Amino acid sequence: MRINGQVYNLGLDNRTSLLDALRDHVGLTGTKKGCDHGQCGACTVLIDGKRVLSCLSFAVMNEGREVTTVEGLASADDSLHPMQQAFIDNDAFQCGYCTPGQIMSAIGCISEGHAGSEDDIREYMSGNLCRCAAYPNIVAAILQARDEMRRA
Amino acid sequence: MNQAAPAPKENMGNPIPRVDAGLKVTGQAGYPADLAVANVAYGVLATSNIAKGRISALRLDKARAMPGVLDIVSVGDMDGVDKPKFGNTGASSIGPLHDRTIFHDGQIIALVVAETFEAAEEGAMQISADYTQETPSASFDSAGAEMEPAAGKSPLFKEDVNAGDFEAAYSTAAVKIDQTYSTPTQHHNPIELFSTTAMWQGDKLTIYEPSQNVTGWKIELARQLNIDPVNVRIVSPYIGGAFGSKGPMTARTAIVAVAARRVRRPVRCVVSRMQAFNTQTYRAETRHRIRIGAGKDGRITAFAHEGWEVTSRPDPYVVGGTSATGRMYDYGSVLTRVSLVHADRNTPGYMRSPPETPYVYALENAMDEMAVALGMDPVQFRRINEPQKEPIGGKPFSSRSLINCYDQAAEAFGWSTRDPAVGSMRDGDWLVGMGCATAIYPTAAAPCAARVRLTADGQVRVQCGSHEIGTGVRTVAAQMAAERLGVDIDKVAVEMGDSALPPAPVSGGSISTASVCSAVLKACEAVREKLFVAAAGNDGPLAGSGNAKLDMTNEKVVTETGKSAKLADVFKAMQIGAIEEYAEFAPNGSSPEALKKLYAGQAEFHGGDQDKDSVKYAFGAEFVEVRINSYTREIRVPRMVGAFAAGRIMNTRTARSQLMGGMIWGIGQALHEATEIDQRHARYVNRDLQDYLVPVNADIKAVDVILVPEVDHEVNPAGVKGLGELGNVGTAAAVASAVYHATGRRIRDLPIRIDDLIT
Repeated sequence: MRINGQVYNLGLDNRTSLLDALRDHVGLTGTKKGCDHGQCGACTVLIDGKRVLSCLSFAVMNEGREVTTVEGLASADDSLHPMQQAFIDNDAFQCGYCTPGQIMSAIGCISEGHAGSEDDIREYMSGNLCRCAAYPNIVAAILQARDEMRRA
Repeated sequence: MNQAAPAPKENMGNPIPRVDAGLKVTGQAGYPADLAVANVAYGVLATSNIAKGRISALRLDKARAMPGVLDIVSVGDMDGVDKPKFGNTGASSIGPLHDRTIFHDGQIIALVVAETFEAAEEGAMQISADYTQETPSASFDSAGAEMEPAAGKSPLFKEDVNAGDFEAAYSTAAVKIDQTYSTPTQHHNPIELFSTTAMWQGDKLTIYEPSQNVTGWKIELARQLNIDPVNVRIVSPYIGGAFGSKGPMTARTAIVAVAARRVRRPVRCVVSRMQAFNTQTYRAETRHRIRIGAGKDGRITAFAHEGWEVTSRPDPYVVGGTSATGRMYDYGSVLTRVSLVHADRNTPGYMRSPPETPYVYALENAMDEMAVALGMDPVQFRRINEPQKEPIGGKPFSSRSLINCYDQAAEAFGWSTRDPAVGSMRDGDWLVGMGCATAIYPTAAAPCAARVRLTADGQVRVQCGSHEIGTGVRTVAAQMAAERLGVDIDKVAVEMGDSALPPAPVSGGSISTASVCSAVLKACEAVREKLFVAAAGNDGPLAGSGNAKLDMTNEKVVTETGKSAKLADVFKAMQIGAIEEYAEFAPNGSSPEALKKLYAGQAEFHGGDQDKDSVKYAFGAEFVEVRINSYTREIRVPRMVGAFAAGRIMNTRTARSQLMGGMIWGIGQALHEATEIDQRHARYVNRDLQDYLVPVNADIKAVDVILVPEVDHEVNPAGVKGLGELGNVGTAAAVASAVYHATGRRIRDLPIRIDDLIT
């Protein structure tokens, strides 16, 4: 499996979820566990560019695939992805726990073409719960990042 | 400037981005279950599937035989460990592995420890038990539930407040209402799962666990384990949402510590979302009866608020919000009474705005009903009853900007466009309703310690054992230090969330900003004093400036006449590399033991209605528009406006976000959240995030937060009133009032759902 551009050869229990593989076996704890049932979105990662709930995917199902986590977004020079910067600028989090999932989901939302309007963003980001309820700020961040990603 | 960063008004600090924002958007912020631990074993809980009775046999053999299972801790394995205590630090007195009694559904019966998470989970699934069952009492109306007066049962609720002769005033009132209201069981459901990681090094124990009270937990855990608190360290650098749920320590912490001692390696137990509903605290259901009597002029002559709350069988957990509702308006007379109902449930605990959310909901829904009964505008009704002094003790408010909040919020909302006639406003298929309500939260502070170090290169380190639960307390502490020490905020590092740091009170009750900033301020003042003495001394770079007032800015000590000395030069003159000051803050009126109690993990709160000279509250006014589909009865909240005054605002960005989040919590209270209970089995049935509804992005549209300037020097040295719990008080009543305005349906039992509005 390739994770953030790096190849990992992992020997795992076939019951291990992709989420637990990332957190407990690869040491990438940026991806969060909030429910383990696909209900909260905190574990969202990109698999071959599409957003996926890593708690609902067995690690073995992803052999040979390209997984991107929040740790893989910043450039090599450590400059932030436009979505990460937009989340800071718009205070799109408080406790920060759902944030990696929100950011990965937001990138997926834009690449799917579901960020055309504020209403679209609200609808297509509703699989990512934020208990601190930063929702209006999350929408504002996605609008900002969308425009910057288009220009880039 | 974007919406998230409002321009500061009078007595407000800059909207500096959170100092830990970079870590949070890159996945580098280490929440307790993220922290790497070598050779860790995994623990998974097994829980009871009855609510009342005794375990007659526990079957562990199948689990023990599972590959990878290392050990099982169960009933009888807690020898030498004292039972938990119920109180400020402990969630419940129930020690689930201390005896065979089952007090509630989902009670811990064992902890399975295995080489991997998967093996531990499978092991836990293999555990079964035989029980001697009794019929449990689920809630208020269950057979066997025991009711008692709440007054005096908890140190936090000493007595029912009363004033004047309610019965006489009510019986002769020209206009009156007598109604009942209720709020459902609710669970905090922070997105971070609850977890405990326990590690022993010799006789030293380190716990990684999300906590709002690391100092209190250290003391309580040491007591349970019968070890010296010096040997216990609680580490909780980042907390993934708390809302009260991570304030009290649960029985699990000691159980995981015992497991780690038995298997001689670290053990990490991450509790499933489902198990958290029963093994953590929650907001219990409440009922209210409110009677209001008024003259035709709208002046309230009589107010009675009776409340009933559910708690567990052994523990008298009380929220008792009548202290606030009884002081809200200029009532001629007040009668209040709070009762507890003991049922076979896990012990409840505080959840965001514990007393005020349910009690003020009932009061404000009743206030709207009363305004309707009087034929009066609800804002005007509140204006008429605005008090000069609180009615219970006759004390003044240290500050009270409620009417100012109403004026500003009403203006921004466009309240004047509201046609008061019920059902009169419509937009196509949508019925439009507008409602408003008051928000109130007591302003308190507690003793707190902090250490501040300034080095010659202008670097500042702030250490304080408070907790970053998402409030931005790290950021405002950094702001306070940067401002007082005259350095850029980038040069300030703040360490929190560790019981090895100077102790801070529990991060609850909206006290953190006031308590932490007051302690940091005091430490900074001591650093300044040392620098000033040296700078203006005979050998100092500002020698000869006499008694000129000194200040610090741009890494310089400056005089009021414009002379300045670089920090580096002052340190050079002092021939030292750093100044470090340890400060202890105690609020006015603290007992002589208050600071000693801080080190014992007991926060002594001051403020609210407790002080002799005045009562201290923060206020706000919230306006909500609802739209209800005339065919489907779908309920939407397209916009809400809240105006809040809370003394000094340290950072307009973090303040706005907390208030906005609170208002959205209020929508959840009004329309979504309820833990459903199977009354036959005293069992929660919707124990996950699919069926326990919370607001999602698509539920929320425009949320406008207005920060109303307010100066209050009385509350604490920082002049700060807390606001983390203010935003979601009153919101649900504003929604209920708007639903009434749109439909003519007065819904008194939360949450308001489509089925309440279908004929």
